[in-house]
Amino acid sequence: MTSQTGITLETVSRSFQGRGTVVQALDNVSLDCPAGSFTALIGPSGCGKSTMLRLALGLDDATAGEIGIAGMKPQQAAKAGLTGVAFQDAALMPWRSVEDNIALPLDVLGRKRSDFSAKIAELIALVGLKGFEKALPGELSGGMRQRVAIARALVTDPKVLFLDEPFGALDQILRRQMNLELQRIWMESRATTLLVTHGIDEAVFLADRVVVMQSRPGRIGRIVDIPLARPRLPEVFTTPEFHALEDQVAEALDGH
Amino acid sequence: MATETAIGASSGTTKGETGFRHWTALRNAAILLVLWEILGRFKLVAGGALPAPTEVLIRFWSDRGDYPAHILATFQGASLGFLIGNGLAILAGILFAVSPVAARLGRGLNVAIFALPPIAISPILVLTFSGMTPRVVLAALGCYFVTMSATVTGISQTDRRMLDVVRAYGGGRLALLRLVEIRAALPAILAGLRIAAPAAVLGSILAEFGGGGRFGLGAYLIGSLGRADPARLWGIGLAATAMALIAYGIFALIEARLTRSTRAVTVAATPPGIRSEGHWLSTIAITLASIALPFIVWWLLLKVLGTPAMIAKTPAGVFDYLFLAPSATSAQTRLLAALGQTLPMTLIGMAAGLAFAFALALASVVRPGIVRSFMPVALVTQTMPLVALTPLLVLLLGRGPSVILWITISVTFFPAFVTLAQGLGMVSRGALDVVRAYGASPFAQLRLVSIPASLPYLFAAMRLAVPRALLGVMIAEWLATGTGLGNLLNQSRGYLDYGMIWTVAVVSVLISVLFYQIVIVIERQMLRKRGMQPAA
Repeated sequence: MTSQTGITLETVSRSFQGRGTVVQALDNVSLDCPAGSFTALIGPSGCGKSTMLRLALGLDDATAGEIGIAGMKPQQAAKAGLTGVAFQDAALMPWRSVEDNIALPLDVLGRKRSDFSAKIAELIALVGLKGFEKALPGELSGGMRQRVAIARALVTDPKVLFLDEPFGALDQILRRQMNLELQRIWMESRATTLLVTHGIDEAVFLADRVVVMQSRPGRIGRIVDIPLARPRLPEVFTTPEFHALEDQVAEALDGH
Repeated sequence: MATETAIGASSGTTKGETGFRHWTALRNAAILLVLWEILGRFKLVAGGALPAPTEVLIRFWSDRGDYPAHILATFQGASLGFLIGNGLAILAGILFAVSPVAARLGRGLNVAIFALPPIAISPILVLTFSGMTPRVVLAALGCYFVTMSATVTGISQTDRRMLDVVRAYGGGRLALLRLVEIRAALPAILAGLRIAAPAAVLGSILAEFGGGGRFGLGAYLIGSLGRADPARLWGIGLAATAMALIAYGIFALIEARLTRSTRAVTVAATPPGIRSEGHWLSTIAITLASIALPFIVWWLLLKVLGTPAMIAKTPAGVFDYLFLAPSATSAQTRLLAALGQTLPMTLIGMAAGLAFAFALALASVVRPGIVRSFMPVALVTQTMPLVALTPLLVLLLGRGPSVILWITISVTFFPAFVTLAQGLGMVSRGALDVVRAYGASPFAQLRLVSIPASLPYLFAAMRLAVPRALLGVMIAEWLATGTGLGNLLNQSRGYLDYGMIWTVAVVSVLISVLFYQIVIVIERQMLRKRGMQPAA
């Protein structure tokens, strides 16, 4: 299963040179996300989860160890257009319309935009922004911008999807709604997904596995499997199984 | 993006207040005009040196046949220089933003261009080039630093997340520039162009001063200086100011249309590439190369242009003139005498201008109304061509040393005041609230919060003031008092003493750079001790 479109980290370390000190952001981390799986990374701030994502995206280089995205080096996979990404804040370009922002990855990858106009329209409908195609990000609410960012992450039909706290800036109600939408989108595309989050409920609700990280040095503490059946409905949030899984993750976060 | 919406919201709520402010500004202007009219009509200032606005208008009307040719000539020089200077500045800015090594290499050249008093090199340009070229070059030089540093700031302040998105899809350096950075820097670049526009007008007029051409507002001004006709001088001065203001206004409009962003009204005074990292040996090598580069460019330019060695002095030529030639002792004596007159004036004028600006900016913290009524005046004078002002001050104040002082104060005061007032405006409300919550008096608030917090802006104002002060003193010396470096330059021009013209130009640039570096060193020491960052 670790074949074509998985994410593999083998004994990856990343350290930063501080003022006379060395900060070990990631220490000897190994993780294998099989193709089509949904993995959530959770942990206290400074545990290296964002560092891990940046390494997997090719935005940063590991000090030691190997990272494979669909069997390639991260930067190769990015250039091949296999990956998609959404960041914590939408990171939209204020001068580009909703459509143009969604099309940005196509511009970077040098793909013809006209081939994707149907795809873009479909994504705009999917994230519920029909009628806002020509709107500028400044004219949208925070939740709408975040949905544009999600659509942008999906425009290349990524085989591997990276989500860095994509709903961190949203309120709890909107967040629940977006979680449901994300699950639906993921079940349709079955992209290998790595989600960095602060929310225990979000992690348990969305992921097949929750990877709990610990800090100083950044490392994997425990991996909690989430055996809940899909599609998971909003009611699942209130079930005893869900609470039990949440408790497991919370305990792992406390270092037990 | 959050800040963008916040700005949009706040501008919406203050509409009524702006309307009120417009009305107050109009009323103040009307009062000023009436006062001026009375002073002029009854010849109350310096025996008629200040003509009434109606007299200026009447004179302007009877001179109306002269103006179009002069305005057109100045416009041609200024606009061509504006295009060339800003084109180069944007390219250089992109290069410096992309390559830190290039930024550090170019630092010497950038500081030299920032610090050079345009009047000092205008005779050289007139000697070396012919026709419109000196005007174009001086206008271009006036634009370069502002736009270059605005481009660098704009690009380096691009939202990192936007860059990450492009890089996450495998975008390289060019894709980052093309898709994000240049577009993100556009507001900053436009703000630079807005400030550069009046600078281009000033540059062209300064070159016309020593250029001996027939047309151009500067030539007109020089030609009319000898005739006792204050009304005409005021007319020319106001026409030049109007031209600079219109240039400023056009770019302010374009900027508002394109960006809807808040605007900076001051010039950045920090060249890029000040931070040094890496091995100390390479740091020293790059620093030395950066110091050598202006001299290499100077030498290369002369070689490429092929100007005769008698007229065009290379660095070696200037050294020879000042230290080795038979006339070296006499040259040194004259130079030192001139410096003895110019330097004290520069320092006193700059200190007075800065002290005045600092005091008024602090007062405006206690009484915000001061800034509100003063800022429009400060903005107008920022764009006013300094040379147009000088003959008028000569008329008002005579030709004694006091005119040097007043001109220097007036050129250093306004940019310093704008910088300081903006800086103090950015002092966090929260910090002020903390001391207020303990019942601090306005004076205690200044002492505990505002003054320490405004330190970076005080240094930024000093950096801005250094070259302007020297420029002000030299213009006053050239046009009014007949003393110091300005006069030496003007005399040497008359005697065709090429060696001295070059020497004065080089020495004045070196002095300006030296003062600038001294300010930077003190600034770094003081701010580092307090854990603060320099203000742009």
